[in-house]
Amino acid sequence: MPLDDPGRPETRSPIRFLWWVARGQVPTLAGGVFFGIVWMCGQAAAPFVVGRAIDRGVAGHDTTALLLWCAVLLGAGITQAVASVCRHRFAVTNWLVATTRVRQLLNRQAANLGGSLTQRLDLGDVVSSATTDSRYIGNALDITARSAGALVSFVAVAIVMLATSVKLGLIVLIGVPLLMLAIGPLLKPLHHRQMALRSSVGALAGFGADTVAGIRILRGIGGEAEFVHRYATRSQAVRRLAVQVAAIESVLDACQILLPGIFVVLVTWLGARLTLNHELTIGDLVAFYGYAAFLLAPMRIATEAAERFTRAIVGARRVLKVLSLPPVLSEPAQPKAAPARADLFDTTTALSVHAGEFLVVAATEPHEASALADRLGRYVDPDDGNEVRLGDTVLRELSIADIRRRILVADKSPRLFSGSLRGQLDPFGRASDAELRGAIETAAAGDALTSVPGGLDGMLDENARALSGGQRQRIALARALLADPEILILDEPTSAVDSYTEAKIADALAAHRRGKTTVVMTTSPLVLDRAERVVLLDGGRAVAEGRHRELLATNAFYRSVVERDAGSDVESAEQSA
Amino acid sequence: MSEPAATLLPVATASQTRSYVASLARQRRKKLVAVLFLYALAALAGLAGPRLLGELVGALQRGTTIGHVNVLVSWLAISVALQAILVRTARYASSVIAEGVFADLREDFLRKVVALPLSTVERAGTGDLVTRMTSDVDAMSRSVRFAVPETLIAVVTGTLTIVAAFVTAPLVALPCVVVVPLLVASTRWYLRRAPSGYLRERRVYSRVHGSFTETVESGRTIEALRLQEQRIAQGDADLRRAFLAERYTLWLRTLWFPCGEVAYVLPVVACLFVGGLLAAHGHASLAQVSAVTVYMQQLVDPLDRILHWLDELQVSISSLSRLIGVGFVRPDRAPTGAVPTNVQLRADDVRFAYRDGRDVLHGVDLRVRPGERIAVVGPSGAGKSTLGRLLAGIHAPRTGRVSVGDVPLVELEVDQLRREVALVTQEQHVFVGTVADNLRLAKPDSDDDALRAVLAAIDAADWVAALPEGLDTPVGSGGHPLTPAQAQQLALARLVLADPHTLVLDEATSLLDPRAARRLERSVAAVVDGRTVIAIAHRLQTAHDADRVAVVVDGKIVEFGSHDDLVAAGANYARLWATWHGGGTDGADGAGGSDDIVHSLGESHNLDTTGRATAFGSTLAP
Repeated sequence: MPLDDPGRPETRSPIRFLWWVARGQVPTLAGGVFFGIVWMCGQAAAPFVVGRAIDRGVAGHDTTALLLWCAVLLGAGITQAVASVCRHRFAVTNWLVATTRVRQLLNRQAANLGGSLTQRLDLGDVVSSATTDSRYIGNALDITARSAGALVSFVAVAIVMLATSVKLGLIVLIGVPLLMLAIGPLLKPLHHRQMALRSSVGALAGFGADTVAGIRILRGIGGEAEFVHRYATRSQAVRRLAVQVAAIESVLDACQILLPGIFVVLVTWLGARLTLNHELTIGDLVAFYGYAAFLLAPMRIATEAAERFTRAIVGARRVLKVLSLPPVLSEPAQPKAAPARADLFDTTTALSVHAGEFLVVAATEPHEASALADRLGRYVDPDDGNEVRLGDTVLRELSIADIRRRILVADKSPRLFSGSLRGQLDPFGRASDAELRGAIETAAAGDALTSVPGGLDGMLDENARALSGGQRQRIALARALLADPEILILDEPTSAVDSYTEAKIADALAAHRRGKTTVVMTTSPLVLDRAERVVLLDGGRAVAEGRHRELLATNAFYRSVVERDAGSDVESAEQSA
Repeated sequence: MSEPAATLLPVATASQTRSYVASLARQRRKKLVAVLFLYALAALAGLAGPRLLGELVGALQRGTTIGHVNVLVSWLAISVALQAILVRTARYASSVIAEGVFADLREDFLRKVVALPLSTVERAGTGDLVTRMTSDVDAMSRSVRFAVPETLIAVVTGTLTIVAAFVTAPLVALPCVVVVPLLVASTRWYLRRAPSGYLRERRVYSRVHGSFTETVESGRTIEALRLQEQRIAQGDADLRRAFLAERYTLWLRTLWFPCGEVAYVLPVVACLFVGGLLAAHGHASLAQVSAVTVYMQQLVDPLDRILHWLDELQVSISSLSRLIGVGFVRPDRAPTGAVPTNVQLRADDVRFAYRDGRDVLHGVDLRVRPGERIAVVGPSGAGKSTLGRLLAGIHAPRTGRVSVGDVPLVELEVDQLRREVALVTQEQHVFVGTVADNLRLAKPDSDDDALRAVLAAIDAADWVAALPEGLDTPVGSGGHPLTPAQAQQLALARLVLADPHTLVLDEATSLLDPRAARRLERSVAAVVDGRTVIAIAHRLQTAHDADRVAVVVDGKIVEFGSHDDLVAAGANYARLWATWHGGGTDGADGAGGSDDIVHSLGESHNLDTTGRATAFGSTLAP
């Protein structure tokens, strides 16, 4: 475990999917069923053996019989102990294999679908399909062992009882399921209240976590007493609700003593009368007392199994929602090839990117620049009638793998992963130390390096939370540089970086990428100033191009767009435009 | 901003945890005794059953009448009814206590968290605290609600069952002790290993889920960098670790469970056998042997419960020690009661290190004129944010002193400090609650009109009025969504309400888009007029608007003066400004010097060493 290849799941229906999962682990399921039966039957046999020992050994004053039946009891106990642990091992394995396999499938699907997954499904839903729903599926496979044991032991005890006394046997066999049904109605309102309690406990935890997450503000500005008071008020409300639930639970506890208790009393009374009439031995009576108590266990397992299977189907349905998502982009049937060092051309904006140049695109609306970047890297296809061409080839006719290899689009919010800083920067382990240093230097990310204990080999937590926003951005930039693609498209790579550092990056970037195509989307004058060519994007079209300083001098509209970022009055800039 | 995540929050020691639990119990001694008494009565009623069955068996053996059988069975029915009533009462009473204890525990934790020293809050971050607030409180809830009461019941029931067996027939019951060595030895072995095994399981699973979440969230990055195979391998590796952790605890259970199961049957066999021998020689009756045998069978349930909850209890003790550990952070302030005589903030030869021997500030002097606006600029990692925190009284300098009105900031009470100086960072947090709740925490007695006035002053009145319920609109997680700019406006409105004479703004607007940032800064400038503002600036326009600009490089202030003076001086600030604002066509020549940072990055633009330490000299020359 885990499997090298979790296989191709059956996604047509939740039940077929569960069946597919189960088929993958038939041997351990069978093992669980076998030991489940031995285990449960061992439990069922205990009252019978005790009854015999009392009858033959104690009542009959027969030491040999006593010794024999005590030995049988001990043997049964040890067998049951061994069977129990074997069953447990198989059940845990069943659970583990199923959850692991589902999680592997989900992880593969998430990795392969990429950015389109969270655009189509809620992040929380996808995550809970891996955390919770996979567990539901595992739980169903886990309980197969106990269910089999419950079923067989119920039948076995029924046969023994009927053989001893048909009348008493029938009463027990009909009475026990009726008892379970009698407790059922109590459970519904309890479940409702418990759900209400759980959600209010969750809300309280959320409120507490929210307060704790804002602790800097509370300690910096004040309001601690107020928040403690609010939390305490909610906490006390939750406490009252919990006590209400406890009131129902305590009634249920009492019923679980009272109903079986009354039943056992009934069985004992009837048994005693039969014994008086010599239809039953004393040992049989003691055994019946035990059977009546024992049979509650298989019934409880049956109820639990029904609940688990229902949940597993619900869980499987949610898992399939993720697993059955197709990719968003279509692969060409017969991928073409495009020549190396080709120009990129986007017909939507009429913008061309020349091979080998350092181009900066200044957009009046930042989202237009992002949309352009997505088209150039084929994360979306252009609207009908438009296309993106790499050289003479339409981008859609290249294989997606080919596009990703040649064109790297670093989006506005690149993510870092937990793990070592080196693995972060160079996930394929291809770069030399000198190359790593070079990229870090260009991205001015040296301070991020020194702030991580252990430097390059230091570890980052999830999304590198220990780093500041600016540091994360620069590490991501260094990573994009190290990937060293033929065409690199950077969307606002320095938005969270201070002006001093931004100036340094802008200087080094052009040199670092010399000879390779680089497109930067930004309106920062510090970067525009370093561009070989600047294109102004407005209203979805490329409206002007040239060197930054030429445009500043000659194009008032360009100046207004750029100076807005540089800090002049928006109003005055717009007037001058 | 770039200091290491040092100072993790403390965890209570075993003896501190013990005395805390003892004090919890002491506060409720009478109620606890009453509940234990109820449980004991319930257990006694439960034990009447086997006793009566024994009687019945004996009577049947001797030959009896239907009338006597009816009497015995009626008693059996009464004992069942009594037991049910007692269990219901005891359960309810113990839940009332448990819920009370649990509520006290979580409220006490929050009280401790909001009393944490400022420097701890700044440095420990909120991740650990949030984990304690959620997972540890949750672990405690299982324990307080189920594990503790169930264990108590089981101990009471088990003890009474054994006592009953001995009362019924001491000689018959005695052999049950054969089980003690087996049970004690195997359980001790298990408990020495189990908690760490289960904690490891919990850790690896949170890693499994964390890394899956990472994969889902980072889909676009994975796609762009073609990391699919890596992420799949990472997921498999995490699952492998989870599998190994599971296998370890499964192995522990594989050895321990059979010992428990055998321990359930051993007393039955022993008592039955010895009882049978005694009965054969007339030293025990059939009724006694039957009753003791049934008692031994009944012992399985309490035993099973105790064993089931033991490891859970152990784990929750570690959660408890993390919860109460928060109360053991040493205070970082030493209030002397001194009151500042004026509002002048100054720093004298301030040095500061997060890690021993690694100063990040090297002798900073700063005299802030009351009412002036200072912008602090400089490259990343130069120590700007650290300086900001020292000026806001959050950390004490290693040497030197930061004071207001001649009183060191760290000698002021927190409440007093807030009236003097406040810090706003780029970290935004909108609390769950209404807009008014979010503002009022700075000044609890302000009425709605006062809140509206403040919002109007920072240009936020319109959008707040446009919210579905105005000031009473729920915001924060799950409430009405706010843009980052709106959230930051609320933060600044809070600051204005709190009304300290000095504000430290650490890149307070850097996460906003340039236009929104600029607008917000303008409105803040209008509102805070007359107050002292120290703004750690991300964008140069903040510097442009300030009275004076401090350029911080490598833990030192290297240039300090008004924007115009610094531009006129033609040094590095001037060149940066030129590029930023006008395209740098006036072409200040490369008079910059080399400096530590440039060196550390391996550059060598050594055009002209004037001895000035500046970070951005030559590279900015056009």
